Amino acid sequence: MKLIFEYEESITGHLPDSSDDDSHSLGDLPRELIRKELPLPNVSEIDVIRHYSNMSRKNFGVDIGFYPLGSCTMKYNPKINEDIAKLEGFMQLHPLSHQSCIQGSLQLMWELGEYFKKITGMDAFSLQPAAGSQSELLGVMIAKAYFKEKKEKRTKIIIPDSAHGTNPATAAMCKFETITVKSDSRGNMDINEFKELLEEDIALVMLTNPNTLGLFEEKVLEISDLAHRNGSLMYCDGANMNALLGITRPADQGFDLIHLNLHKTFSTPHGGGGPGAGALGVKTHLSDFLPLPRVVNDGKNFALDYDRRRSVGMTRYCYGNFGMLVRAYAYIRSWGNELRKISEHAILNANYLCSLLKEDFELPYDRRCAHEFVLSSRKLGQKSALNIAKRIMDYGFHPPTIYFPLIVPEALMIEPTETESKETLDEFATALRKIAKELKENPDFVKGAPYTRSVERLDEVIAARRPNLRWNAHTGLEEEDGKKMPGINEREDRRQK
Amino acid sequence: MKWRSRKKKEKRRNDYRCVRQQGGYEVIIMNYIPVTENDKRNMLRHIGVKSINDLLIELKPSIADSGELGLSNPMSELELLEHMKRLSEKNNLMKYFIGAGAYNHYVPAAVNHLLMRGEFLTGYTPYQAEMSQGTLQAMYEFQSFICLLTGMDVANASMYDGSSALAEAVLLSSSYNGRNGVFVNNGLNPQYLEVLKTYCEGADLEIVNEINEKTTCVIGQNPDFYGNLENLEYLSDRAHKVGALFITCVVEPTSLAIVQPPGYYGADLVVGEGQSFGIPINFGGPYLGFLGVKDFLLKKIPGRIAGMTADSKGRKGFVLTFQAREQHIRRERATSNITTNVELMAIASTIYLSLMGRTGLKNVAKLCYSRAHLLQEKLAKMDFKLLNDKPFYNEFLVRAPSGSSENVLSHLLKEGILGGLHLDHDNILICCTEMNSLQDIESYASIINERMLLK
Repeated sequence: MKLIFEYEESITGHLPDSSDDDSHSLGDLPRELIRKELPLPNVSEIDVIRHYSNMSRKNFGVDIGFYPLGSCTMKYNPKINEDIAKLEGFMQLHPLSHQSCIQGSLQLMWELGEYFKKITGMDAFSLQPAAGSQSELLGVMIAKAYFKEKKEKRTKIIIPDSAHGTNPATAAMCKFETITVKSDSRGNMDINEFKELLEEDIALVMLTNPNTLGLFEEKVLEISDLAHRNGSLMYCDGANMNALLGITRPADQGFDLIHLNLHKTFSTPHGGGGPGAGALGVKTHLSDFLPLPRVVNDGKNFALDYDRRRSVGMTRYCYGNFGMLVRAYAYIRSWGNELRKISEHAILNANYLCSLLKEDFELPYDRRCAHEFVLSSRKLGQKSALNIAKRIMDYGFHPPTIYFPLIVPEALMIEPTETESKETLDEFATALRKIAKELKENPDFVKGAPYTRSVERLDEVIAARRPNLRWNAHTGLEEEDGKKMPGINEREDRRQK
Repeated sequence: MKWRSRKKKEKRRNDYRCVRQQGGYEVIIMNYIPVTENDKRNMLRHIGVKSINDLLIELKPSIADSGELGLSNPMSELELLEHMKRLSEKNNLMKYFIGAGAYNHYVPAAVNHLLMRGEFLTGYTPYQAEMSQGTLQAMYEFQSFICLLTGMDVANASMYDGSSALAEAVLLSSSYNGRNGVFVNNGLNPQYLEVLKTYCEGADLEIVNEINEKTTCVIGQNPDFYGNLENLEYLSDRAHKVGALFITCVVEPTSLAIVQPPGYYGADLVVGEGQSFGIPINFGGPYLGFLGVKDFLLKKIPGRIAGMTADSKGRKGFVLTFQAREQHIRRERATSNITTNVELMAIASTIYLSLMGRTGLKNVAKLCYSRAHLLQEKLAKMDFKLLNDKPFYNEFLVRAPSGSSENVLSHLLKEGILGGLHLDHDNILICCTEMNSLQDIESYASIINERMLLK
């Protein structure tokens, strides 16, 4: 498929030609500032439509098939919420409008914050972060500001070795040192090692609960208690909140801060890698540090409050990914007080699928799982997780997350979510078992997969060694190491076919 | 070809398809769980437990239950839509003569139609390249568009928004040269400055008043917050003289269709907000941060990057590349913690730029420029003093006749016009785009004229 830059010059017709408009030209701009050349293509609308329609057909989404990508909660995204997010009153509202003109949006944000408080047990929420990772950054900034105000010098953050990569990366962005605690034989953070490492310079303990193995941290109450007695704060990476809705509240587990990923738990579409939305919840002692502005309600009207001296400041332009907040709000309202069913069925589906697969694969921590589980394909050979992931594509499924968490060799991390039927889970399990068999009988065949996608297995080494990261007029076919390199002449190939 | 068999669907019924009495009618509540009661029994039997509750007890022994959530009743799709419509109608839409970081441009219908294709909308980060060639090629095209527009060598696949992209560019700069002073030229969007301060506080960087050997980077916004367009070569020279990097921030990128790209006047990094390219104003988000750099900074760039490669048969394909910079591989040594960014918005802008093309985008820019200048001339005749001392693009700062600004703006508001952003004193920052018709501009001016005559 060619690039949009490789179409022959055609006609674009958007907006009237500005020369008809009035007498103003760019004449009063200094000549040196006027752009000499704008190297963009002119492609006709029909060709643009076909280009991106065809491009989308090389993609895969929840709307196309089962997408059990662990830790990402790829559930169905209700279509009504897309329509709602596009209501003119929401979508066409300028963020800097007069307060009297934004009451609907502020009410929505305020109420959504209240729902999150009920769901998590936290005391205050900010909806400003653009994604989970930005929420984490905000959470660590708040911890930093909190200890600075208390004049305590705490420079370290404890995470378990099963943690998401964002946790240590976030710590580093705020100049904290990361201390990693290993997991015990039941997949919990090792409490004895934790006790040894919990010193007075620990600012924060970051836990994911259920953790990335899909297991509930069984000692979370004890960990929280120890951390608090040490003067440290407890941060919950809420990426796995889809397991806990209406079942248990993170505040009751002793967490002081939590972030929610609205694109995971609250069904806003993942968009090929965002936009997500993060929400950061805190207990009262940290609420003054939340970013500006805060949405406040005096019983009659809603307003934006910028007057908070202890706040860490702003973390992005305006108020958050509002369009995603609308979808999450609509999702929560549609479920209302039945929200717990989501998590119950996420847990049911995960345990059922796990029970179908644990005979054919290794289950390194054989405990009751929450909304996801991690298998190991170690016995099926080196790189077997990768080969399984590639081969499952040919069966019409998206692969699970592989090689994560890092503590499980040849890890397959599977999260079915509550929106899948038993039929789909059965079909997926059958396919995985079949692949395990294929790997034993004809491993070379599996190593060549996938065979049914628009491309076969792609060479990531060449991509990194000879970076081609953008189009330019000179991109073309080259021969090197006997390998044909892709380029614009592909159009010729296609015509010949 | 299709492996999955399509069994005849059994009649679906489950107890969670909650039926509620309302005014004598049964209302069926929305439910996205397809597991039937019968399925559930079989699944529980296979797992080896009696009920879902048994699963929960084994899952989290001794942890308190949430109890009643205290949320409202579930809603049917129809009820929900009505409720949300009512809520949205509590907002009042205006004719916007305001920008200040969010620009009201026309979005061609085709953008949304393509964007709503489930293949784009409901996929995730393309970790599995063969499954995600659509997203990956769109990323590659987006990166190319950003490079072509800004004059940079490499761009990433997007950041959260313009303000956080700027903050990340500053962190990049500090990690590149190990310095910690950040110099911000006058005219940076004040919200961007606030965000920058927050990130700097976290990362132990300092915003400083002079450019010297400790300065990691120099930041200039173009056009600046007041709409001023400038050749920033002098700023770039000052930065480079002391070994600092020069960052150009572009918040209204339609300007790039008619003014020289930042690469022309020496930018090492260009960051900005891509909302103008086909993304609705949406009360402030989701928007589209972009970040482009010169080649020598490639290995330091945060976020996702798509690269072209070949498959085992030599066919062109795309993958996420240089992942060793990223948090899921490098953890505490990653270039940033960013993971989910705003890919769908990047696709929107890629489609927008393709639809507009060179000709359409120039049209937009010229219309923005000429309409802003037209309004400014009309206002000048009514003693609204222009405060810009440089050529401006589509935003300009005026001083209303003494003591009148509040009055003027509230009067416009009554007539359905958001007349601008009220800054200090009588200063108003006004913006025009192609959405402000000649007629709108005329009524803006005549409302003020009437007001002045009445006074």
